[in-house]
Amino acid sequence: MSDAVTTPAQDSEESTNWRSIPQIAVVFGLVLCMYGLVQDKQQFAFSYLTAFMFFLSLGLGSLFMVLIHHLFDAGWSAPIRRYLEHFSCLLFPWLGVAFIPIGFMAPDYIYPWMQVADPHEDHALYVKKALFNKPTWYAASTLLFLFWGWLTHRLRYWSLQQDKSGTAEFEGKLMFPEHLIASFYKNFQGLPFEKDNQQVLCTRMMRIHAAYGVVLFAFTLTLGAILWMKSIQHQFFSTMYGVYYFAGSVWLTISTAWITARVLKAKGLLPQVHNLQFYHLGTMLLAFTVFYAYIHFSQYFLIWNAAVPEETFWYVLREQGTWAYVSWALIIGHFLIPFLTLLRIDVKLTNKVMVPVFIWVILMHYMDMYFNMMPEIHPDGPSPAVADLGALLLIGGTLIWVFMRSLFSHPICPLRDPRMGEAIEHH
Amino acid sequence: MSEPAAHSQVETSTPKELVREPLVLNNRPLGWITNQVAGIVEGDMPKWWNIAFGVSFLLMLMSFGYIGYLITTGVGVWGLNHPVAWGWAIVNFVFWIGIGHAGTLISAILFLLRQKWRTSVNRTAEAMTIFAVICAGIFPGIHVGRIWLAWWLFPLPNANAIWPQFRSPLLWDVFAVSTYFTVSLLFWYMGLIPDLATIRDRLRKNAGQCKTGLDKMINKLKQFLYGLFSMGWIGSNRHWRNYEKAYLLLAGLSTPLVLSVHSIVSFDFAVSQLPGWHTTIFPPYFVAGAVFSGFGMVLTLMIPMRTIFNLEEIITVRHLELMCKVIMATGTIVGYAYGMEFFIAWYGGNPYELYAFKNRAFGPYWWSYWIMISCNVISPQLFWFKWCRTSPWFIFVVSIFVNIGMWFERFVIVVTSLHRDYLPASWGYYSPTQVDILTFVGTFGLFMVLFLLFIRYLPSITIFEVKAVTPQADPHSVEGGADRVKGGDH
Repeated sequence: MSDAVTTPAQDSEESTNWRSIPQIAVVFGLVLCMYGLVQDKQQFAFSYLTAFMFFLSLGLGSLFMVLIHHLFDAGWSAPIRRYLEHFSCLLFPWLGVAFIPIGFMAPDYIYPWMQVADPHEDHALYVKKALFNKPTWYAASTLLFLFWGWLTHRLRYWSLQQDKSGTAEFEGKLMFPEHLIASFYKNFQGLPFEKDNQQVLCTRMMRIHAAYGVVLFAFTLTLGAILWMKSIQHQFFSTMYGVYYFAGSVWLTISTAWITARVLKAKGLLPQVHNLQFYHLGTMLLAFTVFYAYIHFSQYFLIWNAAVPEETFWYVLREQGTWAYVSWALIIGHFLIPFLTLLRIDVKLTNKVMVPVFIWVILMHYMDMYFNMMPEIHPDGPSPAVADLGALLLIGGTLIWVFMRSLFSHPICPLRDPRMGEAIEHH
Repeated sequence: MSEPAAHSQVETSTPKELVREPLVLNNRPLGWITNQVAGIVEGDMPKWWNIAFGVSFLLMLMSFGYIGYLITTGVGVWGLNHPVAWGWAIVNFVFWIGIGHAGTLISAILFLLRQKWRTSVNRTAEAMTIFAVICAGIFPGIHVGRIWLAWWLFPLPNANAIWPQFRSPLLWDVFAVSTYFTVSLLFWYMGLIPDLATIRDRLRKNAGQCKTGLDKMINKLKQFLYGLFSMGWIGSNRHWRNYEKAYLLLAGLSTPLVLSVHSIVSFDFAVSQLPGWHTTIFPPYFVAGAVFSGFGMVLTLMIPMRTIFNLEEIITVRHLELMCKVIMATGTIVGYAYGMEFFIAWYGGNPYELYAFKNRAFGPYWWSYWIMISCNVISPQLFWFKWCRTSPWFIFVVSIFVNIGMWFERFVIVVTSLHRDYLPASWGYYSPTQVDILTFVGTFGLFMVLFLLFIRYLPSITIFEVKAVTPQADPHSVEGGADRVKGGDH
C-alpha cells in the first residue's frame, strides 16, 4: 500500500491553507474565552457548556451514524463511514478534555443544585440525591466518556485494520473483553469466526460493537443530556428529554456529513461519493427535521396541555421576555424553513441549497442548545456574549484540527468495506 | 489523486461470507413465482381452510351477539366500576390499532428506505393492517354507551347545535384513524391492481379447461370481478409510470400517518394529568410499541402461511430474521420507555407518580406488569441469538408472546393507572366480565374471517414486486434476464 493512499492530501499545496483555519480559530477562541472569563465567569461557564453540548451532538450523532451503518448492513453509506468514525472519535479523549473546565466550573457557576448544602431544603433535589450528588455526577460523567471512548475507538480500530486486511501490515488483535464477546458469537450465534479471513473478521467485530453499542449508546446519551443539560434546572423533568437531544444531534450530524462529503469530493479526496450518498443524506436530513419537530412538539404539547406547574415552569421561562422570539424562531427555523426547503428531490444534490442549509442547521442547533441553557442566567431574553463565540471557536477549532489530522493520517475512504461495491457501482 | 486512481485502491468485491442472501431462493424463474402465488387463489382451498373459516365465523358471530347484548342492555354488562371507568374497550381498541401499524410501516416506510425484502411480506401485512383497524374501530363505537348516538363523534350539523369536544383527543382519534384506514385501504388496493390483472388474464387463459357449465359461469364471473377491480390494467408503459408515481406519493403520505395515528392514540392518555398517563415520551413510545406488536402479528400469521402454501422460497428465513431484528429493536425501544417512565417518576419527585409506577410493579396488578415486561422486553432479547431468529417455530412462539405482551401493556396503562384514585376511599379493583372477554375473543374471529377470505380470493404476495427483486429481473444479470423465463408464465 503506497503512502499516496494513506495520506492522499499531504502533499497538496492547496490544502495547507484551509487546514490552518482551525488553528487560527483556536487562537482567536482562546483570546475571546480569556476575555469572557475575566468579564463574567458565570456567563463564560454557560457559554462554554453551550458550545460543548453543541459539539458533543456532533460526536454522538456521528457515533449513531456509524452504529446504524453496521446494524442495517447498509451499502450506500460505506464511503462516508471513515470520516464519521473520525468525528465520533472526537468524543474521547478530546471532548472528554473539553469537559474538564465544565467539571471545574460546575459547582460554582453552572449547576445550582450543587450549591445546595442540605438537600432536605429542596424536595426536587432530595428525591434524587442518589444521582444528584457531586461524587456521582463526576463519576458518571467520567464513565460516559470512557464508554464512548471504548466504543468509538474499537469501531475505528477494526475499520482501519480492515484496510490492511490481507496484507502483512494487518495487526488486528482482540482486546479484552472482545475475546468474550467473540466467543459468545462463535458459540451461541453459530457464526463462523474467520480469524484467517481478516476482512470478514473486521466486519464481524464492527457489527458486534454496533449491536451492544447502540443499546448502551441510548442510555449513555440520555444520561449525558440529563446530567449536563437538564440538570441546570434540576426541578424540570421530561421522559422525552434524551430523545429530544438525540434528534437534534443526529440532525446536525447529517448536515455536517453532507457538507464534509461535498468538500472532500470537491478536493478530489473522496471520489467514491456520488449522488447516491448526497441524496440519501439529504433525505435523512429531511426525515430528522420532521423527527425533531415531532419530538419537541410532543414534549411541549403534552406539558402545555396538562398544565402541571412542576413541568410548565420550564417552558414558561422560555416564553418570557425576548425568549418568546427564540421559541418562535425554533418552530419556524428548526422545522418549517428546512422542511419546506428540503422537500424537493433535486435540492438534496444542489450545493446552492445544501450549503446554506448546513449553515442554517448549525445556527438552529446552536440556538436550540442556547434555548436549553441560557434562560437560567438570562431570564429576560437572550444576551449574546463574547464568550459564546470564543467557546465555539476554541472547542470547534480544536476538534476540527484533530479531525483533520485523523482524516489525513488514514485512507479517507474505507478500502476493503464489503459493501463498497454497492456504494460505488450503483450510481 | 485522480478519480480512477482512488477507485483502484478501493476494493469493491464482497467476500463470500458476507454476500447478501437472495430474497427468492433457488433462483426460481419468474413464471414459477406467479404460479406459486396465483395458484393459491385459483386452486381449491384445503379442508383446514373451511374448518378455520367456520370456527372464525362462529367466533365473529359470538362477538356480534355480545355487542347486541351490550347495546340492548347497557355498559353495565361490562366490568367497569368506579374508579375504573375505562376498561377492556379502550385496551382492545389500542391493541388492534397497534397491530394495524406494521402493514403501512412495511409498505410505506420500508419502501422509502429502499428495503427490498419488504416485497414478500407487504401485501399480507397491509391486509392485516386493514382488518386490524376494522376490529379496532368497533370498540370506540360501542364504548360510547348509547351507540345510536355514535354519530356525535363526527362534527355533523344538527338541530341541537351539539358539537363534539374538539379539544378531546378522542375526537382527534376519529379523524386520525379514519384517515389512516382510508389511505391504507387505497394503498393496499392500488398495489393489488397489477396482480388482480394477472389473475384476470390467467382466468381467461384457463377458461378452456372448465368442464361444466357451472365452472364456466364461475370463471366468467371471476373474470368480470377481477377485471372490474383491476381497472383495465394492461401493464403498458404508461400504466406503470403512473403506478410508480402514485405509489411513491401514497408511500410519502402514509409515512406520517404511521406516526400520527398512534401518537394521537397516546394523547388519549398523555394529555391528562393522571399519574401513569401523563408522560412526554408517550407518542414515540406508542409508535414503537405499535410497530413491535404489528410485526408480532405479521409473524404469527406468516409463519404458518408460508409453510401451508409452500412459500418458504419466497418468504425466506432471511425475511423472518429481518422481522425478528425489527421486533428486537422496537422491543428494546419500548423497554427504554418503560425504564424512562420509572426513572422520571423517581426523578421528578411527584409522590403520586412514583406511587403509580410502584403500584404497577408491586400492587394488585403486579402479574399484568410482569407479563408485560417478560413478553415485551425480555422475550425479544432472545433474538440476539441467531438460532432463535432463524428457527420459524421458535419465532412463532415469541411472536405469540409479543401479541400477549402488547395487549397487557395497554391493560397495565389503562387499568393500573385508574384503579388507585387519589383518595383511598375511591380505590377499586377491576375484573372483566364474560361479555368483556368474549366480545374481545370474538374480534379475533372477525379478524381471521377477513384474513382467510383475503388469502382465498386475493394474491397474498405481491407477485410483480417479488419478481423485481430477483436477479433475473436485473437487466445486467449474468443469469441472462429474459432468457431464463422463456416459456414461463409471467
